[in-house]
Amino acid sequence: MSVERGLVGRLGVGDSPVGVLLGVTLLAVALTFFLAPGLVIYPLAAFALVVVYGIFREQGTTARVLALAATIVTVLVLGLITIYLVAQSIPAFRIMGIDILTKTGGKLWNPSSAIYSLVPMMWGTLVTTLIATAVAAPLGVAGAVFIAEMAPDWARGLLKPAVEALAGIPSIVYGFIGFVVLNPFMAEQFSLPTFGSLFVVGVVIGAMALPTVVSVAEDAIASVPGPMKDGSLALGATDWQTTTAVTLPAAFSGVSAAVLLGIGRAVGETMAATVILAHAQVLPDPLYDVFGNTETLTSLIASQYGIASGSQMSALFAAGVVLFITVLGLSIGSQYVERRMERTLGGGDT
Amino acid sequence: MSTDTGVASALDRGSTGPLRYAGGAVVAIGAIVLVASLLAFVQVVPTTVAGASLFDVLALALVAAACCLIAVVVAAKLGVLDTAPDHTAGTSLAAVFGLVGLVVGGLVAAQTLGFSTLWPIGALAGAALGIVLAIVPQEDSALAATGGGFALLVGGVILTDVIGPNWRWQPEGLSAAFTPETTLPILLGVTGLLLAWVGAQAAAGFGTQGKARGASLLVSANAAGMIALLVVLISFIAVRGWGPMTEGIRFGLFWEPVTWFQPPGLDEYVVISAPLLWFHWPFVMEGFAITNAINGVAPAIVGTVWLVVGAVSVAIPLGVGTAVFLTEYAEQGRLTSIVEIATNGLWSTPSIVYGLFGLAFLVPRIGNGSSLLSGMLVLSFMLLPLVIITSREALLNVPDQYRDASAALGVSRWQTIKSVVLPAAMPGVVTGAILGVGRIAGETAPILLVLTGEPFPETGPDLLNFGAAFTSSFPFVELSFLNTDALLQPATALPYQLFATITAGVGDVGEGFSWGTALVLLLVVFAFYAVGIASRRYFDTKLQS
Repeated sequence: MSVERGLVGRLGVGDSPVGVLLGVTLLAVALTFFLAPGLVIYPLAAFALVVVYGIFREQGTTARVLALAATIVTVLVLGLITIYLVAQSIPAFRIMGIDILTKTGGKLWNPSSAIYSLVPMMWGTLVTTLIATAVAAPLGVAGAVFIAEMAPDWARGLLKPAVEALAGIPSIVYGFIGFVVLNPFMAEQFSLPTFGSLFVVGVVIGAMALPTVVSVAEDAIASVPGPMKDGSLALGATDWQTTTAVTLPAAFSGVSAAVLLGIGRAVGETMAATVILAHAQVLPDPLYDVFGNTETLTSLIASQYGIASGSQMSALFAAGVVLFITVLGLSIGSQYVERRMERTLGGGDT
Repeated sequence: MSTDTGVASALDRGSTGPLRYAGGAVVAIGAIVLVASLLAFVQVVPTTVAGASLFDVLALALVAAACCLIAVVVAAKLGVLDTAPDHTAGTSLAAVFGLVGLVVGGLVAAQTLGFSTLWPIGALAGAALGIVLAIVPQEDSALAATGGGFALLVGGVILTDVIGPNWRWQPEGLSAAFTPETTLPILLGVTGLLLAWVGAQAAAGFGTQGKARGASLLVSANAAGMIALLVVLISFIAVRGWGPMTEGIRFGLFWEPVTWFQPPGLDEYVVISAPLLWFHWPFVMEGFAITNAINGVAPAIVGTVWLVVGAVSVAIPLGVGTAVFLTEYAEQGRLTSIVEIATNGLWSTPSIVYGLFGLAFLVPRIGNGSSLLSGMLVLSFMLLPLVIITSREALLNVPDQYRDASAALGVSRWQTIKSVVLPAAMPGVVTGAILGVGRIAGETAPILLVLTGEPFPETGPDLLNFGAAFTSSFPFVELSFLNTDALLQPATALPYQLFATITAGVGDVGEGFSWGTALVLLLVVFAFYAVGIASRRYFDTKLQS
């Protein structure tokens, strides 16, 4: 209570009737949406009225409260995502116990007898992500080095929009090309027994994660202070020696953050995997058969949401939880290394 | 005089004379082999050239280039060419050819010698050979031994038909089978790339200059590859989609009545006619119906536009508000760093997870089924973190002097934000928002779960409904501009339509329809990007002037 009053007091919200009114109506909107969503229009109208009144009477306070409310909504969205994912997945965890993450023998995915093991999907996600990383990380970092360090102006002017455009191509378009062009190609040329394979998905996802790696790594390389490079060049080192011995080590945290972000993209990529894979919820046999077929966590959700209900739906939410935690971990990890880089470079804003 | 030339040659080593030509020839042959084998891999060039197998020709070229490289090294050893090789070639060459040796040794042991479980021995022997060849001799000999030696090996294998037309390899445990049509291009391409790399080092006279030249060759080739990927992807879709997309476009000028009236005192109407342009583009103006000659994606375009409008009108106020609060009001401390971590977490959250959230949280509350409103809200949640991140960056980039100067004039904080900070931060905010819009316009996974119903509807959501009517209840006048029913109905969108053509089986829509949809989707997304980049340029120049 005292903390709240302290916060409210510090924000200067509590000392104005407009602020209090805004807060109350907003709270009413939130409560109605949770309890009786059909009636949400009435508190919403009241809130709008108060806002209009506030804009004319106390613009400063209104703006401040609205900004605060926007912040709360943002945090609330992340909180709600977490809560709802976890809450919906509890039944599946209750049915399967820890087996949902570890069961590798026998039937792995059989909704009619309520057997849900996410192991094949986790394996599929792992394999596709590894392949994608093997494609995106070296090529992406090399592309970033080229843009930041080596490219003449005209090439940089060409490459930066090209990378942005590559990032802009919707994932379903990549998936469509994979489905219509790559799948038949692989089936014909490599005599694959099934339509679609982890290998194709991994390569396609790698191409999709490439622009993310390039642009984030390029920012990191470009933020290495110029004097550090000048010192190396003044000692007679070539540009390439400077890049490998000074710039890349200095930007190492940023570059690895870029790779982590790219991996996060690859883990969460849905449509390419959904369209290309043949949706078999079994482990490939043997495990390292990258030309085999299995499922990824994302494509499981996208392909089964329509036919799922009850415990199967809950199992899909469990897949969502695994995804969410993985990607959140990657995101927090990359933020951590990025901060460390800022510290080592002394501000990082040079 | 003599010292002068000596200095010049030390600085420009390899930039003139036979070394440059010989090294350049090796690079050129390597590059040509690489490109040719890439094209052969995707089967756009015939595999026979003038009666001979293309692969034999390429292998011959590799052998020639390898001999050229070896000749360069021999000449350098004899002191004919001016080079500056290091003692040893260094770790990168050792790493690359160690890996090559590992793979080759393993494959030879497993396939040719038939070691079933002992293949790691072959692999390790190959790796050791590669590393020793790369590290032990002086740099120039090492390059010739590894690069040239590998090219000779590959060329020999292909020319002597060890991997001949009837060769076929089915690795144990893998579902794929390798045939010469795919294996040879891969082998030749890799060798060509390695040879070009080694040749570039030779052309620059070995040593540090050589390493720099070799690295810059690889990195530039990678960049060129990215551009090539973009060009191939877009032109592929454009070529296949252009026909279906533009099928049946008709337009013309017609002399048509525009308005007519009856002047007083006259018994006849006065008709004013004017030339009118008539334009019909079935693919983007029609829906999906049996009676249509050409089915179109108009409902999906309308749906995508409404989705974007809805998502933007929710996410931009929320996002900019959050950014303003974090940057201008809140003290920089634990609260801001928590929100920052939350936004970055939201930004990398997979789109399908947003879809699940919408399915669990929004759908039961909004109409209990797929609806346009749920789609808008879910996409706005996806857009939110990007708007916050870019707006916050833009706000932080506004110099503190602006705020101080405004405060010194006695202007209140909100007035300062409204008339000084936000206008200065506008370019960043707008650009970030538009780039984000480009991203959500092509997003499929979340709307799959919360938005969609009938995949190929005849009409799109009809959201605008201007009207005024008298009613019996308070406030007795009903002004409507929004058709709220349409908000609660399922809709379709371009990316979903493309997905639906894949899953629904191409039987009743045809592949041309899919390619056309893909092209329209690409055009819509790139249009957003073009607006974003153009507005960034506009604001940049405006700020600088």
